Amino acid sequence: MSATAPPPSADAPPRRGATARRTAPSPRVWGLPLLLAAVLGGLYLYVGSQDLDRIERRSLNAEYLLSRTVQHLTLSVVVVVLILAVAIPLGILLTRPRARRFAGPVLAVANIGQATPTLGLIVLFAVVFVAWDVRTIVIVAVWLYGILPVLRNTMVGLDQVDRSMIEAARGMGMTPLRVMLSVELPLAVPVMLSGIRTALVITVGTVALATFVGAGGLGDVISNGIASSRDTVLLTGSVLVAVLALAVDWLAGLVEDLLRPRGA
Amino acid sequence: MTGFLDYTSGNVDALLQATLEHTVLVLQGLGLAVLIGLPLAALTYRARSRTAVLAVAGVFLTIPSYALFGLLITPLGLGTAPSVVALTLYAFLPVLRNAIVGLREIDPAVVESARGMGLSRLQVLLRVELPLALPVIITGLRVAAQMLLGIAAIAAAVNGPGLGNLILQGLSSAGTPFAVYLTLQGVLGIIVLAILFDLLFAALNRLTTSRGMIHV
Amino acid sequence: MSDQTTDRPMIRLVELTKTYPGRTAPAVDALSLDVPEGEIVVFVGPSGCGKTTTMKLINRLIEPTSGRILLDGEDVTHVDPDRLRRGIGYAIQQTGLFPHRTVAENIATVPKLLGWDRTRVAERVDALLHMVGLAPEEYRDLHPRQLSGGQQQRVGVARALAADPPVLLMDEPFGAIDPLTRETLQNELLRIQREIRKTIVFVTHDIDEAVKMGDRIAIFAEGGRVVQYDTPERILSEPADDFVSDFIGAGASVRRLSLTRIGDATVAEDWPTLPFSADASERAAAVAAGDHDFLLLLDDGLPVEWLPSSGGGGLPVLAPVGPDHTLYDALDTMLSNNSDVVVVTDAQGRYRGTLDLPTIQDLIHVDDAAGVPTRVSRSTSRRSGEPR
Repeated sequence: MSATAPPPSADAPPRRGATARRTAPSPRVWGLPLLLAAVLGGLYLYVGSQDLDRIERRSLNAEYLLSRTVQHLTLSVVVVVLILAVAIPLGILLTRPRARRFAGPVLAVANIGQATPTLGLIVLFAVVFVAWDVRTIVIVAVWLYGILPVLRNTMVGLDQVDRSMIEAARGMGMTPLRVMLSVELPLAVPVMLSGIRTALVITVGTVALATFVGAGGLGDVISNGIASSRDTVLLTGSVLVAVLALAVDWLAGLVEDLLRPRGA
Repeated sequence: MTGFLDYTSGNVDALLQATLEHTVLVLQGLGLAVLIGLPLAALTYRARSRTAVLAVAGVFLTIPSYALFGLLITPLGLGTAPSVVALTLYAFLPVLRNAIVGLREIDPAVVESARGMGLSRLQVLLRVELPLALPVIITGLRVAAQMLLGIAAIAAAVNGPGLGNLILQGLSSAGTPFAVYLTLQGVLGIIVLAILFDLLFAALNRLTTSRGMIHV
Repeated sequence: MSDQTTDRPMIRLVELTKTYPGRTAPAVDALSLDVPEGEIVVFVGPSGCGKTTTMKLINRLIEPTSGRILLDGEDVTHVDPDRLRRGIGYAIQQTGLFPHRTVAENIATVPKLLGWDRTRVAERVDALLHMVGLAPEEYRDLHPRQLSGGQQQRVGVARALAADPPVLLMDEPFGAIDPLTRETLQNELLRIQREIRKTIVFVTHDIDEAVKMGDRIAIFAEGGRVVQYDTPERILSEPADDFVSDFIGAGASVRRLSLTRIGDATVAEDWPTLPFSADASERAAAVAAGDHDFLLLLDDGLPVEWLPSSGGGGLPVLAPVGPDHTLYDALDTMLSNNSDVVVVTDAQGRYRGTLDLPTIQDLIHVDDAAGVPTRVSRSTSRRSGEPR
């Protein structure tokens, strides 16, 4: 029953390896943007070397491509903002004890919705709500489609936070709101971010289908290429959409790494 | 509702034809992905190169479907060919990743004892490792199938087969009473297929999980 | 029984009942109990007996169905629970440390909630780390994942003590830790408690831990009833009923041995001794005079050798027991030396007397007739904690 303080080493030594986690970006991180830049450069040189006919020139000029890119990005941003504005609060709400019983049914409905083909959803909205603005149709359809990944990951992320930790926080006198903001959400961030990243990529890709209902975006360039059988136009449209999606995914991945809480 | 049913009884042949095409298209894509993905997984699951292979497969999955179909028209023309290849590329990541994960999580002691009994490397792979990894592989197929069923609707935009054609017909007849019916047929057809595929894979999973093996 | 009172309870539970919705049987049933200021009260019992529920009723992580909770005389049954909890330290088995915050940030949680300024928080964090045996400059910026289980639990205790709350609730704090580290942490908590004199409620399912840690022990039985609330000595010597004796188990007598320090025990001083310097004739005379088989040779007061009266060479005194050893240690020494007597020394190692097997037996049973044997004294408040 001697009561002297033992040296700290009485417990196992601290695991030091975990400290040096954030290292300089590896070449792998920069590989993709370099590749994408090279692809874009190659495309520019290729298109520039071609003798473009009148039809091709109608799609392949800076003004047209820029306007479609801006349309594409605008639609995507509006959709993503709507997704986040609904899915994150809904996910938080559905993980609160009082609303938890609705979580199962909501996820079941969302899962069935996910089996709906995106093109089908956009067209269905277009033929049912004929009076709607085509951009509204695209925004609503793509928004509905992108809610699930963010909603599900918000719920999973919050649910995997250790209950005992929340109780410890409550036991120390943190208010439920404070526990939510400074314990639960920070710890759910990695899972939530990966859901948001998925939703971003899905959104940017699905907005390419806006062209089918005449709502613009870079999908127009692909459609022009198919309709006019001009491979140069088709290639340009496809490459631009692909590069945009990959770039968004890469950026989101970067943000994901940056926002991940340290130590967790 | 009655309008939809009346209309459907009128074009049930076209609907079944499109559904069959859709199914075949998805199965072709899945089949090719398995034919290429499984050997590739077997070759790389222990090698460092597996991360590179998975990264490339991940890039395909990130490319939006309309863009990938579009990119494939130039070399392959319009129709079934670019559709099948695009679906194969999309199925690649789930198939490959699950095969690699399934093979990697096998207890090394099992492999070692099989080698110790004199089985060749190939025999170990075919008789021990692949059967043990099968449930995980099938889960990958299940995920891939669900995804392909939806993406295959885009095939219609490159003159490919499948239920997407009903959706695009619905679009082009927008304003007529049939527009909604045609689109609904396409959409519901795909949802029903998704449910049937899911049931099928659930049954397969149960069949292939060896008795005495804990469900992975 | 459960409604014992003392002059100045820090925590007073009055007819506290918790019935969960949809259940008929209460999880805690009309419990009344006083926790005196500055003492460690251990709630112990089998799982599902309501001991943890009772603890959580105190900081109202679980709201009581009926009854009252008084903290330092103030009725806190209906005050703002968040404010209440900021004044009560809370440490749990899983530590509940925030993995995304550093050790220092974890410890600073409650002080920050209370609005302490930055320098005061930093000083407090370093002082606490020092107190729990972790060098501040080495540990303050680590994340919990970088610590061992024992170190995490130290940080958990430091975090619970951060705002210097008068009351500390500890829910099996050492339950998930290996036995060796657990013993270290137990001893350290006792050491810290000697300095800080908090009122501590400590939940465990381990009767040995309860006996070691508790100034008082409340034994819980199914249905959230306290069947005995008493000092460890009395619980071991006078279990209130069969449930308590079953719970204490077969080793109760042996456990009580470790409650008594030899420094507090009466030792026999009549063993024949002889200075080591005595010559052969003096030794022979002494052997002839006594009826013991061995004489004890002392060198300047230190016991060195047993001299057999049958002649032949002396045997070295292997392991004398000192004042800080317990009767348990004395018995252990006898058994391992295959001897029925052990030499007792004072703090300086000088010969004080001897202890033999019959004496130990008497010491265990003396309280059955006369009173409580001397308890290992850990805190001076212990006397006041004695049941009257």
